[in-house]
Amino acid sequence: MASKPQRHDSSNSDPGEQQALRLRRVSSPVSTNNYPLFNWSSTPAGEDEEGNSRPHRDLRSIPLPMALKRAVRQVQQMHVPVVSRMESWKRNKTKSLRKLKDNAREFHYIFTLWSKSLQKIGGNFGGGVQSYFVFLRFLVVLNFFSFLLIAGFVLIPSIVFRSVGTTLTNSSGPEKCMNYDPNPQGLVVFYNYFLNLLSGTGFMEYSYLFYGYYNNTMAGDRTFSYNIPLAYLFTVVFYFAFCLICIIARMGTAARVAVATGGSAGGNYSMMVFTGWDYGCMADQATKLKQKTIHYRLQVDLEEERIQKRAAALTSSQKIILYSIRFLMCFIAFGLIIASFYGIFVATNFSQEKSGQEGFLGLFFEYLPSIVITTGNFLVPLLCDQIALIEQYAPSTTIILALLRAVFLRLVSLGVLLFTLWRQITCEGQTNSGTCKLCQYNYEVYPCWETRVGQEMYKLTLFDFLINIAVLALVEFPRRMVVDNSSSKVAQWVGRQEFMVPSNVLGLVYGQTVVWTGALFCPLLPLINTIKFVFLFYCKKVTLFYNCRPALKTFRSTTSTFFFLVVLLFGWGLAILVMIYSLAEIHPSMGCGPFRFFPYMWSIVPTSFYSLSKTTQEFLFFIGSQAFSIPLFVLSCVVMCYFIALTSVYGKSVALLRAQLKLEGRDKQFLVKQIEELSRLQIPKHNAGVQD
Amino acid sequence: MGNKQTIFTAQHKYLKLFPRLFYRYRDLAPQLVPLDYTNQPDVKLPYELIGSMPELKDNPFRQRIAEVFSEDGEGNMTLDDFLDMFSVLSEMAPRDLKAYYAFKIYDFNNDDFICKSDLEKTLNKLTRNELTEDEVRMVCEKVIDEADLDNDGRLSLEDFQHMIVRAPDFLSTFHIRI
Repeated sequence: MASKPQRHDSSNSDPGEQQALRLRRVSSPVSTNNYPLFNWSSTPAGEDEEGNSRPHRDLRSIPLPMALKRAVRQVQQMHVPVVSRMESWKRNKTKSLRKLKDNAREFHYIFTLWSKSLQKIGGNFGGGVQSYFVFLRFLVVLNFFSFLLIAGFVLIPSIVFRSVGTTLTNSSGPEKCMNYDPNPQGLVVFYNYFLNLLSGTGFMEYSYLFYGYYNNTMAGDRTFSYNIPLAYLFTVVFYFAFCLICIIARMGTAARVAVATGGSAGGNYSMMVFTGWDYGCMADQATKLKQKTIHYRLQVDLEEERIQKRAAALTSSQKIILYSIRFLMCFIAFGLIIASFYGIFVATNFSQEKSGQEGFLGLFFEYLPSIVITTGNFLVPLLCDQIALIEQYAPSTTIILALLRAVFLRLVSLGVLLFTLWRQITCEGQTNSGTCKLCQYNYEVYPCWETRVGQEMYKLTLFDFLINIAVLALVEFPRRMVVDNSSSKVAQWVGRQEFMVPSNVLGLVYGQTVVWTGALFCPLLPLINTIKFVFLFYCKKVTLFYNCRPALKTFRSTTSTFFFLVVLLFGWGLAILVMIYSLAEIHPSMGCGPFRFFPYMWSIVPTSFYSLSKTTQEFLFFIGSQAFSIPLFVLSCVVMCYFIALTSVYGKSVALLRAQLKLEGRDKQFLVKQIEELSRLQIPKHNAGVQD
Repeated sequence: MGNKQTIFTAQHKYLKLFPRLFYRYRDLAPQLVPLDYTNQPDVKLPYELIGSMPELKDNPFRQRIAEVFSEDGEGNMTLDDFLDMFSVLSEMAPRDLKAYYAFKIYDFNNDDFICKSDLEKTLNKLTRNELTEDEVRMVCEKVIDEADLDNDGRLSLEDFQHMIVRAPDFLSTFHIRI
């Protein structure tokens, strides 16, 4: 904020300034403390490079009243050091660089998406809810840039080179395998268009949305060539790497804060008392609730201490009973999760069997896996909550356990769906038996299996979005209206709803995992997801302000950001497993797609490799060979060991310094006591001396 | 009021930098605050006006904030004090500066130490007097246990700063958006 004030004529305002200073010094009782943090006699040394900037920065961070700071700055500016031309050029450069950085930061503030909304949310509902919306914004930006990546390298070249281009390989497969006709025959009933939109079939199937539409061509002439299948493959791989880098970079900033503050090693109460109040809180409602929150948190902490004391005082027989109950409940929770997995498995099988059906019943069968997954994700955590009540863990452990169970449930249920699809596509893994013998995949049910998988992911994304909107419109708004307008005891007991951050975050992670899994088969899915998340932001914001009351149990914002990103990484891991398996193990469809006639999707890379020039081939061989990769690996191990050693050294020095601080305090007390004793001894002597 | 140009070309440095803050200050009492600050008029707004600002009126510590930043220690603020206050509470102020002023805000009796009575007053303001005596006492004991490093039963500025360094949320909570 305070950049360099202009130098103005010291003559006409100096006396006034000094007079004001004098008055200030005399009148205020508060300023009797002599600002010990500022050394009045220091002058900027002429020799150091940023001599002009360092005192300026020091001045900003020293607690002096504004008028005093201005006076000091004038005094400093009057010391104009004599510097060479080189020095002054350097100083001007650093000044303009700093100005540029400040301007860039301001520019960035203006263009940061939704910053005002986020401020409003944070001011009214606290840091935990705000961290959910910040996470949502991060995902929107990530998806948007991913879409730009895919559009630039896959979509636009495909559109441009649609009609030109030569097919890459001349080989072909058996006639039956190449039979793929997605366009609907004959007259289509009008509502079919709507059904097709929702399920990705019909007119939407053979379009840029799905894998099956892209061509197996290489466009170009002698000077320029564009290999579309290779571009498709590399874009998807690079998209995953890009997402990983973004997530890890973001985790790095969150982790750095946690490491710098030494983790949460004690200090909970003092931190809550001194940093718990958010000075940015504005609405009267919000402040009352904030006070209630702090009250609640203090009570919860005190309660946890009481529980811990009680737990430590249990007799051994009580302990045995408690542990056996916990084991049983864990077992039951696990059993519930397995039951939901089995339900998803059965539903997916059933849905695939009935996939030919028309009309609304067909739509229902198409969406059956999504319905079962959503129901499972809704019911099982509720039941697990009830189980947690019986288990009687401490409140913080209960929350973490519930979150882990929910994460496990969500991601693995997606995995079960994918597993079921895999079983059907590859005839349960045995590609040389039954219907898979001819084409290495089940060509009868899946003439273009990648498009089918893409459609499933598309349906999951769409269904997730529709469910969110439906819950908003049919559950949250009516609930608020009922609670506000009826005065029955039940309504008051149910109360307005709270914005549950963990379950909402898991919903986001699930949606993003679905998009990652489906990106290989449905390249436009990141764009759909961007639009979906943008709508979700506004819908959630609306429901937050109209329907929710602030939660009493708040989520710590710094540690929670890190946790959200860790969970997102789990989702990324699942998606990359799926991608690697699809690239390397399953035979691509022969009737559609850019990889038809290749034995595996990855095999386009060696094929194109041999068409590169000789020197490039040798260079790439060298990079892949052991002579290069082993030293590289050893070097990266060394670098990693260095950083680990650095971290541990910093941690140790922090601990040592803390211990030293404590010792100094004790030394000071000891010395003070000594002084008191000595002075007590001196006074009688002195009195005796005086009397004499 | 169409003389924004003349104000911006006025001699006073900070009017070029903080015009928004100056207008907020002036809006509190337009008849007291002149548009032209070239002669550095000695204008002080009483605490009641400062405490009625929407950013401050619901803050339980508004009186202490005004007292700490005001020249006379009573909460009546000149423009300099006003700018001081919002610059320390802005997002760009460094952590040490904020910690220094936060310490002064929580030091109710101005003795440069946060003693038990200061803590009790802080807690009561935070929770609107809704904690019981026992709970207040327990929390104060715990706070002093955790944060008092030189074992004198009260928190000095160094203890406070040491504890604030470990609080990652401090910068974002000790921040008023204006």
